[in-house]
Amino acid sequence: MVESKPKEIKMLNMVLLGLSALSLLAAVLTVASDRFKAGTDDVFLVLVCLSLALLFAVPSLLWAHANGMLKNPFADEAEDDAAQLEAAHGAGHGEHGGSNRENVIVWGGLLALTAIEVFLAYIQINVTLMLIILMGASIIKAALIVAYFMHLKFERLSLILTVVPTMVVLLCLFAILFPDSFRLHKMRSPEPVQQVEHQGGAAH
Amino acid sequence: MAEARAESLAVNDWGGGAHPYRVGHRKLGMWLFIMSDTLTFGALLVAYSYARAASVAWPTPFPFFPSIVFSTTMTLVLLSSSLTMVFAVAASKKGKRGTARKWILATMVLGLTFVVLHAIEWGHLIGEGLTPFEIPAEWAEHWQGASPLFGSTFFGITGLHMFHVLTGVIYLGVVAARIKKLNDDVEVAGLYWHFVDLVWMFVFPLIYLLSVDYAGVIKQITPE
Repeated sequence: MVESKPKEIKMLNMVLLGLSALSLLAAVLTVASDRFKAGTDDVFLVLVCLSLALLFAVPSLLWAHANGMLKNPFADEAEDDAAQLEAAHGAGHGEHGGSNRENVIVWGGLLALTAIEVFLAYIQINVTLMLIILMGASIIKAALIVAYFMHLKFERLSLILTVVPTMVVLLCLFAILFPDSFRLHKMRSPEPVQQVEHQGGAAH
Repeated sequence: MAEARAESLAVNDWGGGAHPYRVGHRKLGMWLFIMSDTLTFGALLVAYSYARAASVAWPTPFPFFPSIVFSTTMTLVLLSSSLTMVFAVAASKKGKRGTARKWILATMVLGLTFVVLHAIEWGHLIGEGLTPFEIPAEWAEHWQGASPLFGSTFFGITGLHMFHVLTGVIYLGVVAARIKKLNDDVEVAGLYWHFVDLVWMFVFPLIYLLSVDYAGVIKQITPE
């Protein structure tokens, strides 16, 4: 381990946080000034700014966490320490978290969410609203599966930080394609006459 | 205590000479594979959403009964198979290999049930005349201007998912057969299986629940 002066480290971390804040500011300014008028380009710019902000913020936040300035709001301190102690004593087969009972509860939650989704499909609501609710429910379900079934919640923070932000950023980058899709839809949309025909076709 | 813990989390891991993730190489490899596979499915689902949003019309050919009820049953089966896999992993961690094997076999049976149900569902659609590159003529009549991409996205996404389930069943079979010689393989296989389940949690709403045939078009085309 390289010994460094705490003052220097503090400075560097402040610089990183500053860069992160600047990137955030750039993202906000882009949204405020253009309001996605340029479509794809703006979405891309904002996403890149946000990714940069995340990238800059992570090391300094980790450092702050390491120095006890930042508490992990998700972790149950006492429980975590107990798990650490257990691991330190070399038990190995100590099952930290994720008892069978807990997993059954998670399974019940997943079933309940699925039931809600199917019910919404049954009563037929507005497609856009439906899409938003379905995606929300699916993301919750995915998070439950990854956290409990795939045991990620009980892995080391370093693995969580490697897997989750990468996936989120990469999947969000796919969203760059959608403005183009909407543009195509607008170009292809039929004239009002054809629309009437279409409705008539669906009615009989 | 808290400080020492945080120290070990952030400093030791990346200072060199340590194992930053504290997981075995198999498990880390599986996580990396899952990340790349997420992108594969993500790209396919985005392509499907792109095609659907860009089309003037898109067929919604799944009547609530039987299609949606059928696919909901499939979802139930796959979710339950995830639970049995969790039990298998828990049992193998406690060293109970016999119990773990039984749970793995239960998972395989549920996985095969899913594949069979899905194949029946495919059979219905193929019977109606849906192919990867064409939608049935009756559908094209009812959904004017509908894109023929419906077939390719449907068969592409659900087919790749079905392939994953089948591969998973074979994988689990190998793990169950060699369970006496293995260490953390049950857990690694469990990661894969849960991932397949996770993907279905996105495929099911996007493909099925957003394409419910409220107008009863399919019933008019194929009267019982």
